[in-house]
Amino acid sequence: MQAASFFEWLTTSSWANAMNGPEWAFPVVESLHFIGFAFSIGTIAIIDLRLLGLAMRDHTAAELAADLNRWTLAGFALMLITGPLMFSADAVRYHVNPSFQFKMICLLVAFLFHFTIHRKVTQAEISPFAAKLAGGLSLALWTAVIAGGRMIAFV
Amino acid sequence: MSTISLLEWIESTELSTAIREGALYYPIIGGVHLLGIALFGGMLLMTDLRLLGWAMQLRPVSDIVRQFRWWKRAGFVIVTGSGLLLGWCEPLKLYRSPAFWVKMALLAMVGVHALVFRARVYGDPAKLDTAVTNEAKLAASLSLFLWAGLIISGRLIAFDS
Repeated sequence: MQAASFFEWLTTSSWANAMNGPEWAFPVVESLHFIGFAFSIGTIAIIDLRLLGLAMRDHTAAELAADLNRWTLAGFALMLITGPLMFSADAVRYHVNPSFQFKMICLLVAFLFHFTIHRKVTQAEISPFAAKLAGGLSLALWTAVIAGGRMIAFV
Repeated sequence: MSTISLLEWIESTELSTAIREGALYYPIIGGVHLLGIALFGGMLLMTDLRLLGWAMQLRPVSDIVRQFRWWKRAGFVIVTGSGLLLGWCEPLKLYRSPAFWVKMALLAMVGVHALVFRARVYGDPAKLDTAVTNEAKLAASLSLFLWAGLIISGRLIAFDS
């Protein structure tokens, strides 16, 4: 199946129909998406601020990561259910939206960073400079994901 | 001056016109509003879930409340500040939006929540380290409901026509 026809099929799927049905469907799913990223990006930000030496200095980044990981993952799950649902509502137009494409690239890089370097950095003894660099990069990546997402409606 | 003419005046200010008509101001301010929710919402969630005993159970309540306090306040300022700017650019639309009034009612309840619980729960967290009182759990549950309600009603504003 060609990519273009996949997006056409998706836009006419029952998922998309549900999203395009009652007028409250899209905003409610979008709100759940926001709650999802408050859990995921919000808990990652706590660890990033710790890596930067700005917040939660009474605890190590490793302790915080152990505490918060399940909530980060729960947030990811909520984001990854609600995001594709919104995408399906208008897949044909979204997949060529430059802001959407920017967001997906940033999201991919942010996920890769989170599960590799970020995870290593929170667990290992590393120099304060490397910790700050990783914390700052992580914050920047997730900020780009949010900014890209916000711009989808305006491009 | 009637309410409508006050709102018309707001909409005629330079700031209001600039946010409404500039291509980038509105999405950027909206982005800051969202970013505030993302970066500081996690701290609010973790504080309330800690009080309920669901998150960060290994850490004393007082540690969590104390270390997040100033960050949460900064987040509140960023989210309400950017929210005010978003409202400033289309006050007439908001005045006619039911979802906006639901959101304002919830915001007023956040104020009531602070008046009732701030001193008794969040102001003296050390006493919760031995056992979290039912009052603190009630405060945390209400806070979570208000916060979720604010997000949902806020998002519904854009879909009120």
